[in-house]
Amino acid sequence: MTAVTAVAVAQDTFGVFGTTATLLVTEASALPAARRLADAELAAVDLACSRFRADSELSALNAADGATIGISELFAELLGEALRAARLTDGAVDPTCGRALAELGYDRDFGLLEPARAVTPGPASPAAASAVPGWRSVRLDTGPPRASLAGGAQLDLGATAKARAADRCAEAIAGQLGCGVLVSLGGDIAVAGPAPAGGWRIRVTDDHAAGPDAAGQTVAITSGGLATSSTTVRAWSQDGRRMHHIVDPATGQPARSCWRTVSVAAGNCTDANTASTAAIVRGAAAVAWLEDLSLPARLVRADGSVEVTAGWPDGPGPAPPASAPGT
Amino acid sequence: MRRDNAGAAVNARDDGLRKVTRLTWRAGAAGLVCSALIAAAFGHGGTSSHATTSTPARQGQRTILIPAQPPAAVPGAGQVNSGAS
Repeated sequence: MTAVTAVAVAQDTFGVFGTTATLLVTEASALPAARRLADAELAAVDLACSRFRADSELSALNAADGATIGISELFAELLGEALRAARLTDGAVDPTCGRALAELGYDRDFGLLEPARAVTPGPASPAAASAVPGWRSVRLDTGPPRASLAGGAQLDLGATAKARAADRCAEAIAGQLGCGVLVSLGGDIAVAGPAPAGGWRIRVTDDHAAGPDAAGQTVAITSGGLATSSTTVRAWSQDGRRMHHIVDPATGQPARSCWRTVSVAAGNCTDANTASTAAIVRGAAAVAWLEDLSLPARLVRADGSVEVTAGWPDGPGPAPPASAPGT
Repeated sequence: MRRDNAGAAVNARDDGLRKVTRLTWRAGAAGLVCSALIAAAFGHGGTSSHATTSTPARQGQRTILIPAQPPAAVPGAGQVNSGAS
């Protein structure tokens, strides 16, 4: 368990992966070195698994037409985490959603897409499900690291790689600098080292970029990770239909969930994000699933009503409905 | 004559013990081979897998890790937001 100490916190905010990163450390003098460590980790992860970089290892594997290619230790780790997430969620979080996302129009950096206008996703196309061949079509060998994709699978590691990057940054900073640290990558949060007095205070809400008074709840954690998945952001329009980035592998379409936002606390950020994404896909069955796993979670329905699991603290009443999802 | 019978009995006993010993070793070896085959078939001892993680510390983790303690409610604003991006 992480020790809790009373110390000041220094902060740095910067852009990465098309979103906002926030770095908090418990020793102001450590902030520049912490930023350098974070920059190095994030650059390495981006080069390994960006779907929008032609020079990434992920792009090379997607273009290999089923052939086995050698990969770096880092990409093997990130791919291994994605496969672990798929296995632990019975495929609700699947790294072979790359083709489905591209066919849904998410084929370039998110900032270049047409903003969402419609309110709900349109009907699924009959061929959409075949766009997700499934995580078992991925072969990963670890000694030496190499990988291949069968059945026309195309990877997208968006459900796990950003969270794993947050974990890697936090582990590197706390391990090398000895200070307490919080790393937030677009709302995927990892903490490590000694926490400030009272813990790290986190506002859980629909959109990580909302202001400090956004509708939601403030909680404190001292270790591990906390992540939030939502259908209300990272949404776009295609052919007049509203799309969002959480694909249901069973249909190849944006998940049609009873939850608009799910926040989960776990032993690390990767596992928190795995669970929050899976909860969106699982829909109503997610409550029992999270309880069975003893994972504290806060689930918000489209009407703003809230349900909590496994020791997540009761908070304020229902959140207001999302007035314009995805806009 | 009696001595000859006793010698034959001793030889028969020793022969039987050798056979039992050989059978015991063969059974043990067969068990080891079967164990290795089963482990390989179910992929827990191989170097490649459809669900292998490359971080050895996490390979044995067969469930999503729960936090050391659940979040605590606190008043006021947060230092950072957790929301989708």
